[in-house]
Amino acid sequence: MLFNINSALIIGASRDEGKVGNVILRNMKTSFKGNLYIVHPSADEILGIKCYKDIDLLPEIPDLAIISLPPAKTIETLEKLGKKGVKLAVAVSGGFGEKGEEGKLLEKRISEISKSTGIRVIGPNSVGLVIPGIGVNTALTDPSKTVFPKEGRISFISQSGALGLLNIDKYASDGLGFSSFISLGNSADIKEVDALDLLKDDESTKSFSLYLENISDMERFLNISKEISKNKGLVVLKGGLSESGSRATNLHTGSLFKPSYSLKGIFRQHGIIMANNEEELIDASVAISYSKPLKGENIAIITSAGGVGVIASDILEANGFKVPKIREEDAAKLQSYFSPLGSPYNPIDITAEATDDQYLNTMDYLDRLDYIDGVVVFTLFQTYNVTENLVLKIKDKIKNYSKPYVFGYIGGNFSREIYRNMLKNELPVFPNINRTVGALKVLFERGNYLRRFEK
Amino acid sequence: MIVPEFEIKDILKKYGLKTPYGKIVESAKEYDGKYPVVLKVSSKTITHKTEAGAVILDIKSPEELDRKIADLSQKFPCEDLYVEEMEPRGVEVIVGLVNDQSIGKVMMLGIGGFYAELIKDVTFKKLPIDKYDAEDMLEELKYSNIFNGYRNLRCNKEILKDLLLKISKLGMEMEFQQMDFNPIFLYEDRYVIIDSKMVIL
Repeated sequence: MLFNINSALIIGASRDEGKVGNVILRNMKTSFKGNLYIVHPSADEILGIKCYKDIDLLPEIPDLAIISLPPAKTIETLEKLGKKGVKLAVAVSGGFGEKGEEGKLLEKRISEISKSTGIRVIGPNSVGLVIPGIGVNTALTDPSKTVFPKEGRISFISQSGALGLLNIDKYASDGLGFSSFISLGNSADIKEVDALDLLKDDESTKSFSLYLENISDMERFLNISKEISKNKGLVVLKGGLSESGSRATNLHTGSLFKPSYSLKGIFRQHGIIMANNEEELIDASVAISYSKPLKGENIAIITSAGGVGVIASDILEANGFKVPKIREEDAAKLQSYFSPLGSPYNPIDITAEATDDQYLNTMDYLDRLDYIDGVVVFTLFQTYNVTENLVLKIKDKIKNYSKPYVFGYIGGNFSREIYRNMLKNELPVFPNINRTVGALKVLFERGNYLRRFEK
Repeated sequence: MIVPEFEIKDILKKYGLKTPYGKIVESAKEYDGKYPVVLKVSSKTITHKTEAGAVILDIKSPEELDRKIADLSQKFPCEDLYVEEMEPRGVEVIVGLVNDQSIGKVMMLGIGGFYAELIKDVTFKKLPIDKYDAEDMLEELKYSNIFNGYRNLRCNKEILKDLLLKISKLGMEMEFQQMDFNPIFLYEDRYVIIDSKMVIL
């Protein structure tokens, strides 16, 4: 349903720049690949898109309707669209459940319309549905102030619209692609579990990132999570963990049964990776989408800057990893690849004399060592003889590697450009040591979970 | 409603869960187990027996037991008294079950004993658990190192995992609101559930 959108209708489009109905129209017009229609009571065309006076006059039944109208009008329109056979709508405006009892009743009405006519509704109060692969973009943010993602492998579902769009902007600016972004808004019809249900078989999605404050049906959520996490990543940032827990308890277990203690283990049991902040929420999905599960705790570090390797070792060990010494026979071989001033023992320091080939040869060799489970490579493009060509060469290599790899960098504008290039090329790369190690933690967690499905 | 301890013990026995040998008595001559013993009030109303002064530890002889029975009978005239063998100290864990409105039945494992609620080193899983979940539960505790032995205490992780699976089965088959098994003493070759509590609706 979400990926078969060949025609879209905007109701509430506006000529006035700055109005929501105008921003959505511009965003859709820029990116949408199918037929775009407007229904408008008076205009003949807006921004070159032909307007129809009434839904009944449209040349086809649109696959998606975007409604930017006040609450009562939204309801009326949804009902009409539902009866016409429209399958999916995004309700943009606020003023529903967040405005008290009366608004809650309107939301209930939306859910009833959905049940009786079959139209599925995202929102109300949804700041955007973005599906780059087919050019759907109903975001409320002005394209001059934000970057929208290209097609990618991560589906991002958010109960906070703003947090979602801000994070999308941040990562899309760095070149990260998304397979979809859904701002659930007030979830009158489509709730977080429904969104997962609609997206679970999407082949372009390798990992889900979810920002959740309320889980509408915990049992269903856990069941669908278990189903999804067998094959794809599932990362959750849960807001509101400090809320008080369950009721009516006087035993020890009951008093300890609070979300902050209990959810972590229960989520983990269902293959969900818990993020602690909005950055981990996306980083974890990058790691899962672009790298492989880690099956052990022994990590090799490749760096062209000694200090980076030392700190990385410390952070790895503080996080329960081991940085085992490379065995003598292997060290001798590795040493022959790079400067005699370097160290082949782990962290493997290939020094400031490093070249693209020295990076690649070292990676090749490490991939064969059975006492190493994963490799972190600090691709430091400030190094004199290292070139941007390394990016595509790495991309080519890691396809055939048996171990999971992650990449890290530290640096300014020049390196950041190459970092973007790496992300565009779907390499698991992170902009500091801590986040790079964080990615390995996620991959370890993933490997640990998946062990239950190995024979 | 709180289920009295000796009734819980019968349930635990059915699931092959080990508790100290004991019985309800009115005098020492009815008790046929080993010494030292622990004397407890078996109550439908007292949840935290130690705090209520309803447990006497380390009673070494039948004569002493009779004296303590007299003391407790006076203090808790309407309650049954329960005598059981006192077990040596082991690695202490707490296992608990909660039937939650939104998640359903869940199990907790924590570093147990007197300080359980102070250190709050606990982890939860939804029931039923499998052997991987049991493994994860042990790993998830901050002080999981204690399962590798600490000072003169030794324990066996396999026995603990097996115990968690048995309690999961019990939890799946029974109706309850909450259960506490606290403490459970773990040893190198066995375990024993020292105290259990159960609240039903």
